[in-house]
Formats: sequence, C-alpha cells, structure tokens
Amino acid sequence: MPEPTIDPQPEAGAGTGLDMPPERRHAAKAHAALLSAAAAKVAAELPLSADVDDFRRILMAEARP
Amino acid sequence: MIDLEQVSARALGEAIRAKKVSSLEATGAAIARLAAAHELTNCTLSLDAEEALSAAKACDGAIAAGKPAGPLAGVPLAHKDMFDRKGKIASWGARIRAEAPAAQDATVIARLQAAGALQVAALHLTEFAFGPTGHNYVLGHARNPWDPTRITGGSSAGTAAAVAFGAIPAGLGSDTGGSLRLPAAACGVCSIKPTWGRVSRAGAMPLAPALDTIGVIARYVEDLALMLGLLAGADPRDPAASTLPVPAYLARLDDPVRGLRLGIDAAVLGSAHPEVQGMLQRVTKILERQGLVTAACRFPDWQTLDHLVQLTQMPDCSAAHAANLRSRPNDYGPQVRARLELGHFIAAVDHLTALRARGTYLRRTLEETFKDIDIAILPIFADPLPTIAELDIGGGPTLQAAMARVVKFTRPINYLGLPTLALPVPRAGGLPNGIQLVGRPYAEAQLLAVGHAYQREVAPELARPLA
Repeated sequence: MPEPTIDPQPEAGAGTGLDMPPERRHAAKAHAALLSAAAAKVAAELPLSADVDDFRRILMAEARP
Repeated sequence: MIDLEQVSARALGEAIRAKKVSSLEATGAAIARLAAAHELTNCTLSLDAEEALSAAKACDGAIAAGKPAGPLAGVPLAHKDMFDRKGKIASWGARIRAEAPAAQDATVIARLQAAGALQVAALHLTEFAFGPTGHNYVLGHARNPWDPTRITGGSSAGTAAAVAFGAIPAGLGSDTGGSLRLPAAACGVCSIKPTWGRVSRAGAMPLAPALDTIGVIARYVEDLALMLGLLAGADPRDPAASTLPVPAYLARLDDPVRGLRLGIDAAVLGSAHPEVQGMLQRVTKILERQGLVTAACRFPDWQTLDHLVQLTQMPDCSAAHAANLRSRPNDYGPQVRARLELGHFIAAVDHLTALRARGTYLRRTLEETFKDIDIAILPIFADPLPTIAELDIGGGPTLQAAMARVVKFTRPINYLGLPTLALPVPRAGGLPNGIQLVGRPYAEAQLLAVGHAYQREVAPELARPLA
C-alpha cells in the first residue's frame, strides 16, 4: 500500500497576505519579539487560575463611586 | 449679556431655559465660530448647520410653549466623527467607512439628545482614532489653535481644538491609549476618561474594545460632570457597560477635597522632560493650596505596563481591520497601516497573557500604588508640545519609538482601566500642556471635585494663536 502523500502547504505565518516591504516586516517582527519577551516574563509569574475576566471583576469589586 | 464663547454648556443650557438667550442665537454663533476654528485648525469634518438651526428653532418654540426641557436643551455641541447617527455615515476619519447609514444613534449621542443637546458638526479625528498626535494622512492633519504649527494631540483632535477655540463648550471623544487626554493637554482644555465600562460604547466605532472608553472634552470641569452624568450607566446594547449606579457628579463637584492624598511616582515622573516635570510640580503646588496632601507612590513597572497594553491593543485593532488591510491596503494612511500590520505579528498566546494578567496588575496597582493615596498625578505628554513637522513620520522606521514616547504616560492607564481627569497646566504665556489625575475604579466624582477646586485658581482660557 503506498504511503499517503501530504500536499505541501503554502507558507503560513504571521502577517501572511499583507503587502509589506521587507524592512517594515522585519521591524514588525522585531517589535513583536520584544513584546513577546515581556509576555513570557509576565506569564512566568501568573497563577494558572488567572483569567481574562479577573479585570472586570476587580474593577467592579473595587468601585469607589 | 452672555459671552457665548466663554460660557459653559451647563450655564448656556440654564440661560436658554430661562430665555435669556435663544438656542437659535447660540447655535448660529457656534456655527460661525466653528468656521473660524476650522480655518485655523482643520477641526471640522462635516457641518450640520441647517439641521442644527432647525432643531434650535424647535427647541426655542418648545421652551416658549412651556414644555419640559433637559439640562442641555438647545445647547450646540459637536463630537468626534466616530459615533453612529441615524441616517448618516460617520467618516471615522478614514477613507474606509461603513457601507450603509446607521440604523440608530450611538447610545452616547442618543443620551445627549435626550437631554436636549444639538449637534452642529462632526469633528476631526486621527484615522480610525488610531494615533495620538492629530496627524491624518487621509483627511488632513489637525492644527493646534494656540500655534498652528504644533500638534493638537489625538485622536480626539477636532473636539479639543473646537472646544479650546470657544466654538463649542464641550464635545465627545474616545480614549484607547490617550485620545481624550493628549488632545486636551495639547489644546489646554480638560477631559474625563471614565473607568472602562462606565460609559456605553454602543454605536461608537470600535478601535480596541478591550480598552476603548468614551468620554468628554470641555473647558469647564462642571461640563465634564454634567455630561458624564448624562452619558454613564447601564446599556443593554453594550454588555460591558457597568450597571453600577451613576453618582450625581454635578452635585458632588463641591465635595471636600481637603486632606485627599495625591501620589507622585518619582521614578515614572523622572522619565519626563525637565520642563514637564516642572509643570507637574506647579500643578501639585496649586492642588496643595486647595488642601490636597502630596505623598510618594509607586506604580508597577511602567515599561511592563506599556508592553502589556501594546499586547492587548495591537491585535485587537488589527483583527477588526484584517480583511481590509489585505484587500485594500492603499486605502489606509501610512501611519495607521504600519501600526495595524504590527498586530498581525503578535502571537495569540502573548495577547491572551496580557489579558489574563490585567486583573493581577490592576489589583497590584490598587493594593500597592493606591495603598496610601487617593489619586495619582502623572504627566500627559512626556515632552513640551512637538510640532506637526517633527512627528510627520508616516509609517517610517521611527514610528513605533516616536508614538511610544507620545503615549508613554497615557496608554498604561488604559490597561489598568482607571478613570483619569486631564487638566491644563498654567501656561504663563507659553504653549499649553496638561497633567492627568488617576483615580480608583469609578472614582470619577472625586476626580471631578478636585478638578473643580483646581479651576478656582486656574481659570479656563480661550485658545488664540500666540504672538
């Protein structure tokens, strides 16, 4: 039985389909990498239970109208 | 005799209801002043003169007939052109617009109309409200009424310029990374950016919904209080709009401020230009004379907050524009295009990390920064007011760094969702600038009371080109 063949996938990734000159693409990647490093540091300190809804809950709970 | 250039919206509404001045007279004068302001600043995107004059006549008729009139009955206002108005297509400051006229008014527009306010014009904004300087490469840059070579700040550029000039007493804007505070500071007026969720965003053009906040720009703090009281409150059309009761902001303007503790983060302030540091110290002295007590405070690492707000904002903005950015990229101005592209390079996991961490950073700010203070004071601009030419950098390689410097003190606060009041610093004959007071969640009434006390010593000014 022949091995199933996998069709080559078109190259995918960040910014696919955007009409950007190489220098702008490079700058965007570099800036995203800087932000990603910050995200990694923050993530290392976050408890697993951190939730995107915490923000709204705390805003309401700490309201001082 | 009422000075229609100087009068607050609250006082004008009172005068119209008392028939001391007609709405028709006030509206006609506002339209004429708006034309003069536009010539100087490019503040107006579309004028609704006939519609407004017709509504003014109807308002005068209703008042003459003894019908009930709202607090802003017959008062001419104008707003950033990003709010739905039934039967109209908002420009969004852009070439790309909605395909069909709005089916209903934005909630904020409807609430001002219910209070009797008129809208005489739709005002300039940075393209898609995505830019902090007032540059708009599609519809033309806004110019500062004090010095037309200087930026107005953005993105609510037209509202700030028109208010500062005295064309209108107040108007609406929005703030995702500083867009109510920066133009208020640059034009020498006040603004209130409420707590995230305090005011409905229904019918407002979304930029980054996780951060977008609708607010008011005015010369008088009392108008911020009046209008916020009309705008705030639950809205079934915006599930994020808070159901908390709306305080009587106007009635609480005279709440005592003596003894309130004003926090200064010396490390954050130290990264501002020395002139800006000096401005903040002058404002602090004025607030001390009003009875506030200064104390040291410390925000969470400011650089981390700035990274987190970018991780939150950029993909949020880019997602809304993803299809158009691929299919019609040349319909975007160079600056907005480059900034929208950036969001595509931020990993989903990093975006979600920033969103998951938001509660942690807010709690840390409340427990540590606000532990011994009531209000924090920060600059708005890091530097003295730049010229339009200095920041006319399109989508070039210096864009991210230049924009980061402009929003350095504003966008981290959007990540925390806290309310801020922008106040102009005393000019002493020079260009305007401003400071921001940051409060605890939903503490707008306290901020407004402090702002009202500040205006006892620092009176609002009309902007005219400096000699």
